[in-house]
Amino acid sequence: MSVEYVLKATALMVLCAFITRVGYLLIGGYIPLSDNVKSGLRYAPVAALVAIIVPSLLPWAQGEAPGIGPELFAGIVAGLAFFRFRSILVLIVAGMGTLWLLRWFFG
Amino acid sequence: MSVQLSTGVKSLRPRLSIKKMAWFMGSRHIAPNLFALSVWGFVTGVAMVNYGLAAWQALLISFLVYAGSLQLTVAPLMALNAPLWVVFFAAMVVNLRFIIFGASLYPYFRHFSVWRRIVAGYFLTDVGFVLFMNRFRAQRLGRISMYYGYFMSASFLLWLVWQVSTILGIYVGSYIPGSWSLEYAGVFTLLAIVIPMVRTQPMLVTVVAAGAASWLGQQLPFRLGLFVAIVVGVVAGVLAEKYGKHGGKARKGV
Repeated sequence: MSVEYVLKATALMVLCAFITRVGYLLIGGYIPLSDNVKSGLRYAPVAALVAIIVPSLLPWAQGEAPGIGPELFAGIVAGLAFFRFRSILVLIVAGMGTLWLLRWFFG
Repeated sequence: MSVQLSTGVKSLRPRLSIKKMAWFMGSRHIAPNLFALSVWGFVTGVAMVNYGLAAWQALLISFLVYAGSLQLTVAPLMALNAPLWVVFFAAMVVNLRFIIFGASLYPYFRHFSVWRRIVAGYFLTDVGFVLFMNRFRAQRLGRISMYYGYFMSASFLLWLVWQVSTILGIYVGSYIPGSWSLEYAGVFTLLAIVIPMVRTQPMLVTVVAAGAASWLGQQLPFRLGLFVAIVVGVVAGVLAEKYGKHGGKARKGV
């Protein structure tokens, strides 16, 4: 990676971040949305978070067979622990504890 | 000049206190998430250096771009000296979701000045967006004086914690064994944001559909799956609302 390459790539990333994050806030008034789209946007936050979580817990490398790893079970334990105790600390301890335990046991 | 005075009351004190309350509320609501975010920021810092960026380059990217998932996607491409258009395209795909976020936030932010909208855009994050929508979606539009303070106090704290932890990751990350897999602490914490949001049947449908699509979507190039999964999840939620049990009743009621 030459310095020039990194600087050019950084400039492109800044441009990308600006277009996607500021773009609609600036010109949204000129892009009217139908009521259907507006009501649909209520589901965007949940969908986005799920789309970040699932590939981390159920990784599936391209060109390989899908599999299940300790991450999934750790995630389920963490989710159940949070559902029961409503505490983020309990969630992290339960999740990471399960992950390390499973990896140590099967690793 | 001010658009905010819907009551016509000229007294300054209630406006000030509402604004102060908004700043206070924003920081309080972001606080429980900060530990997880610091883990994520740390991991991002470690990753950038591990992919071969110099410390000053990683710092520059973190401050100018400030987009964790984008950085984690682009860094491996840069390590391979991928063509610049590939870097840009991958970055756009990962960040497309922010256009959806922007569309959701627009009704709340459209009264802001251009400058404030640019600032808010820089500070826009997944977690900040979810917090903001959870707080204000249930209410009718109004309370304009609260939006900026709430959003900015939560987002600024998030930014601060993120940058400090990224800097830590850049400089001390090499001393922490990768086998600890600290990045999962960040992933698990997102569950704590999702679970309380899934209260209705259409929301559950969204979770299942977006989950399935994002699992399959890992086979798509450029992390396109992230965007596809959001679209699939949103469409599934809308359809469930329209044709499902709950949605049907609600529409008859109207």
